[in-house]
Amino acid sequence: MPREHPLERVERELKVAPRHRLDLIEEVDADVKALQAELVRRGRDPVQARRAALRQLAPAGAAIEKLEARHTSRLGRWARASAPMDRALMLGVAAIATLAGVRAVMALQGLVSLGPTAVLAWPQAVVIALLAANLARAVTQLWIHGDLRSTQRQSLWARQAGLIVAAVALGALGAAWEAYPAFVTPASAGWEVVGRTASLAATGVATAIFGLFGWLAITPRLIADEEIERRITSFFAQARPALATPREPSRPEGGPR
Amino acid sequence: MQQITLSKRINELMVLAVLERGPAHGYQIALSVEERTGGAFSFQHGTLYPILHRLEDEGRVRGAWHGEGRRRKTYRITSAGRAELEAGADELERQFRALLGLLRGTHAA
Repeated sequence: MPREHPLERVERELKVAPRHRLDLIEEVDADVKALQAELVRRGRDPVQARRAALRQLAPAGAAIEKLEARHTSRLGRWARASAPMDRALMLGVAAIATLAGVRAVMALQGLVSLGPTAVLAWPQAVVIALLAANLARAVTQLWIHGDLRSTQRQSLWARQAGLIVAAVALGALGAAWEAYPAFVTPASAGWEVVGRTASLAATGVATAIFGLFGWLAITPRLIADEEIERRITSFFAQARPALATPREPSRPEGGPR
Repeated sequence: MQQITLSKRINELMVLAVLERGPAHGYQIALSVEERTGGAFSFQHGTLYPILHRLEDEGRVRGAWHGEGRRRKTYRITSAGRAELEAGADELERQFRALLGLLRGTHAA
């Protein structure tokens, strides 16, 4: 198994937007190589020179925390400052999402009297709330924390896709439930039944469109981040296997020896 | 004025002092600080980069990328950085005179 590049650990630990991560590893890598060359030129053994250059320049501990603080939005820093604040932010998002779902179903019930199919309309409210919460989670990670890694991105998209399918399925089920009696006994069919059937189907489609378009709205940023992450991956893939970063206790700041 | 610790202030001023002599890469700044202070000060474990990035964000140094593919970053001091260096050096001198006066039992100049 190939050895890990010493800066891969830094890239993993640094929770900032991919472009900041790429800039930092490129800057540090170029500096480490140049310092190593300089130390070798001054008579140091190449292996020792590499270790010394990494010890001096590869960010660790306090330096990583400071870089994160430097390259995170003010709101992100505030949320990261304490777990309760982060949780409060997520609870706020969840509350808004739930209200959005409930409001959507109440609006639907205001349009048509759903009767027994209300039992399907309320799960639809849950789906709307979950879609909004999932989107809000992605938006928060991208624009407030600045760091949405590919595994998390994939799991959020899988959830979004599942919810979109659930929304369509619930809409179809509700429409079928309303339409079936009219199909069995056409004489009992009236415009009211048609209205309810159409409303339930439309709610399903509208919810799916909301979920899909919501995700489409964040797609440009996701594509940009993915492109930069590809560059980070290829950076490490192209880098020659190097010595592991020496594990030494980090000093909080450069200062008197 | 933003309240910062003395060590943070010293680190910033050391970086600015190195860049006052001309543009430099990060490793050159680290090396120069160590050499010019006779090893009394050095940056370890990447502590140089948060300082450089902070100075860059505050407009006291300007970073520029060079090269295609594998890029390298060079920093140069700005006029705001020069002013900061001058004011900071005077301020540190006053503080250290006062401190030495206290330590050696003499009055500050």
